[in-house]
Amino acid sequence: MRKVAITRFAQSAGVESGDNLMDFTYRISKEVLDKAGLKRNEVGCVMIASSDIFHSGLSCANAVDWDGSGAFMIEGTRAEDSMFALIYAAMRILSGHFDTVLVTSIIKGSENPDNDTLTGFFADPFYMRPLGINETTAAAFQMREYMQRFGVSEEQCAKVAVKNLGNALFNPYAHMKKRVTVDDVLNSETVSDPLKALECAPKSEGVASVLLASGDAAERFTDKPVWIKGFGTSMDHFNLGDRDLLNGQLTVAAERAYRMAGIRQPRKEIDLAEICEPYAFQELLWCEKLGFCPDGEGGKLIDSGETQMYRAFPVNPSGGVLAMNPYVSRGLYRVIEAAMQIRGRAGEHQVDKKVRTALAHGTHGFAGQCHSVVILEG
Amino acid sequence: MADEKPKEKPREMKAQVTVPYEMAMGRNWHRFFENLKEERIMGTKCGKCSRVFIPPRSFCPRCFEDNEEWVEIGQEGTIETWCYSNLMFYGQTLKPPFIAVQVHLDGTDVGLQHRIAGFDLSDFEKVRELVKSGGRVRVVWNKEKKGNIFDIDYFELIPE
Amino acid sequence: MGRAVAVIGTGQTRHGRRNDVSYPDLVREAVRMALEDAGITPKDIEGVVSGTMPSMMEGISDTHLYFAEALCEVGKPVLKVESCGSTGQSIAHCGFYWVASGMADLVLVVGMEKMFEGDGQATMSTVADPWFLKPFSAGAPGVFTMQAMEWMHRFNIPEDKAHEAAAFISVTHHDSALDNPYAHIKIKIGMDEAKNAPIITYPVRLLDVCPTSDGACAVILASEEMAKKIGRKPAWIRGLGFRGEEFFYGESNKSIWPSATEAAKHAYEQAGIRDPLKELDVAEIYNPFTYQEMIFYECFGFCPRGKAPDYVLEGKFNRTGELPCDPSGGVLCTNPIGASGLIRLAEATLQVTGKAGARQIEGAELALSHAMGGIDQFNGVTIVGAKL
Repeated sequence: MRKVAITRFAQSAGVESGDNLMDFTYRISKEVLDKAGLKRNEVGCVMIASSDIFHSGLSCANAVDWDGSGAFMIEGTRAEDSMFALIYAAMRILSGHFDTVLVTSIIKGSENPDNDTLTGFFADPFYMRPLGINETTAAAFQMREYMQRFGVSEEQCAKVAVKNLGNALFNPYAHMKKRVTVDDVLNSETVSDPLKALECAPKSEGVASVLLASGDAAERFTDKPVWIKGFGTSMDHFNLGDRDLLNGQLTVAAERAYRMAGIRQPRKEIDLAEICEPYAFQELLWCEKLGFCPDGEGGKLIDSGETQMYRAFPVNPSGGVLAMNPYVSRGLYRVIEAAMQIRGRAGEHQVDKKVRTALAHGTHGFAGQCHSVVILEG
Repeated sequence: MADEKPKEKPREMKAQVTVPYEMAMGRNWHRFFENLKEERIMGTKCGKCSRVFIPPRSFCPRCFEDNEEWVEIGQEGTIETWCYSNLMFYGQTLKPPFIAVQVHLDGTDVGLQHRIAGFDLSDFEKVRELVKSGGRVRVVWNKEKKGNIFDIDYFELIPE
Repeated sequence: MGRAVAVIGTGQTRHGRRNDVSYPDLVREAVRMALEDAGITPKDIEGVVSGTMPSMMEGISDTHLYFAEALCEVGKPVLKVESCGSTGQSIAHCGFYWVASGMADLVLVVGMEKMFEGDGQATMSTVADPWFLKPFSAGAPGVFTMQAMEWMHRFNIPEDKAHEAAAFISVTHHDSALDNPYAHIKIKIGMDEAKNAPIITYPVRLLDVCPTSDGACAVILASEEMAKKIGRKPAWIRGLGFRGEEFFYGESNKSIWPSATEAAKHAYEQAGIRDPLKELDVAEIYNPFTYQEMIFYECFGFCPRGKAPDYVLEGKFNRTGELPCDPSGGVLCTNPIGASGLIRLAEATLQVTGKAGARQIEGAELALSHAMGGIDQFNGVTIVGAKL
């Protein structure tokens, strides 16, 4: 089987950019190509990740995204989520048909209405939408069930926000960064009870771009390739009522990625995780589902302090999605952050330990309907 | 399903979706529209392939380099292609009938979309005698400038 | 290079105004038929790819979530890929690379659209940017008219001749649709009727234009090993290509359409095709407009530039001609956009596997399928053959 490497990457910061969508896209894609010393027309394939109209205001977003992604007259297409784009790009290389794929994920949160105005359009028009179900209300259902079934406390959930917003202080690309206490989090406005404002991710800008290359081609672009060792996705039922909100498809997606990467004991073999936690408690729940701790013990995991940036098992040293939430791009941001840690070049938020294997996770849909997991290795 | 031939036709639900956006124009399009207010048409030029773009692009999609140079563009041009539209649909900006046109403005390398007007459009056969691909047109400025594409009110035909 | 990939099953809904079913149920209809055609169950599927045109069409975002059950996605790896009107080809390509990569042996690919639930032209005009293109949008017909006018001007094609050829295509495609049980518009028309139909955007007339349809299409892709194990007659994917031009319509020359030309060229190279007119047995071209279909004939190398109307009027692309094009009636008679490009692949598959029923082209062994999207920006091509 061929190998797939992440060779070069670039990301935008989460604060509002005055650039239009086209220029914003160009700036980041160009940065990656320049770093790699690769000409636009030498790229084998361009893979765009962007949402259709709801997250961009333009239908068929690949149309406007095409120029800035460098895709003029190059093989390419667009996926609806950045993890999908990365995985599809990796498969294009694995197929043997392409040696390089430039993956660029695009969203300008500042141009959009509120996150939940948009996630509300995931809902079917007949049942969920009239009831006002969106990603946040669905997450609130999930959080309540999590606390009730396993006795996880509001304080334990709040600690995730304290940790991640604090980590973000060291990440120049993060959007929200602040030193807060558990009390600050619990006293912040109630958004959808039991979720508090500081436990919900912001709405961020985010163009991220990654140049993937086959094993043979990678050394032309970097002396520090990061290998994609495994990936997996899985989809859950649509209706919330059809699902066990605490036992969704993340376990299945992770198993796929672990099997491909040859990982048997995730907690031992993985050094660091970048997890997609648009709601604070989800980091705890997802850690359980990824096999980092037993079911129901996510609260204990955060209490132990082990997931802090400088401890044994750092989770979201970048600040995670709570600190930076470019909806479509947020999965690819996790991948880039994990790759930076493996290369030892994460700057101020570089963790203390040697990171050989890292996990990046992405999710979209209500209460984690769809999950993607990617395993990276130095 | 048990009910193979329902007596009642299933109903449809009326719905409307409205979503507000605030879309950034970026520096180059901002500058373009500010210049329109002054009755100047500005394009950008690729330093590599020398093509002149309108709308002004901040980069060349083919060479993938920044377009550093701004150039003023002529206010006359050639009709590359055109379309007489009688089609009406929800949310349309211009009310039919209208003539959409792609003009190759003098000094540019790409076509610009706009409209041709300034005469009676009701009779298509008459329109067809007047408007020809390859024909010449010139900008007619809107007296009221708003910093959008309709600061160019329309293109008028230049008689042969 | 890579593993061989076969289409081993196809399914499409009866297309048209399908307000008898909800959107997920429409999708399920196509999926169920494809599974039956391939002789497999949902359990066998190892991956699912889906896509539509703009989500504004039906007002639902990220429909792969909504269709989780209809698409047999639950517990399975999924991808969602979209590229505007060319979505149908883009999702097929995704399924191809998925199988070719060795990551799955059996992938379900599904495209869908329920255009009667929204306003097609209003939706499509949101592909245009709000500053430069949208203000002058005359919908899809406006774009295609501009392209047709540019093409006629560039190659000095007399308007009367183009008009005659367009009407001829309309008549023959509408005839073909009568033999296609899934087609939406099934009417018998004559040349006079086609030539004198009401003008939409001159010179495009009502019968030169595709309808808006509700419909879904599913195909099942398999690795060589799996295809042989299942044992249905497969259509082998022999070549594929996808290209896109710049966003702004005026930036590239649509009368010679580089993306269509290059996408086909790339697919031909893989399939080892040098003379498409002679070597291809049938072509399913994404032809929302009769005039545009002629431009495709030229881009795909079926005839010299500017000569398509002559070839059409000689009957070269008829069902009895040298290279029958759109024996299904094509997009001109059926257009659920997100499905349309995949329907082309499904129809090409039916042709090379000898399962096209009354619209079968005798002895067809090599077929081209195609879709285009954006404001004349994208083109994708997939070539299937009876032989590997």
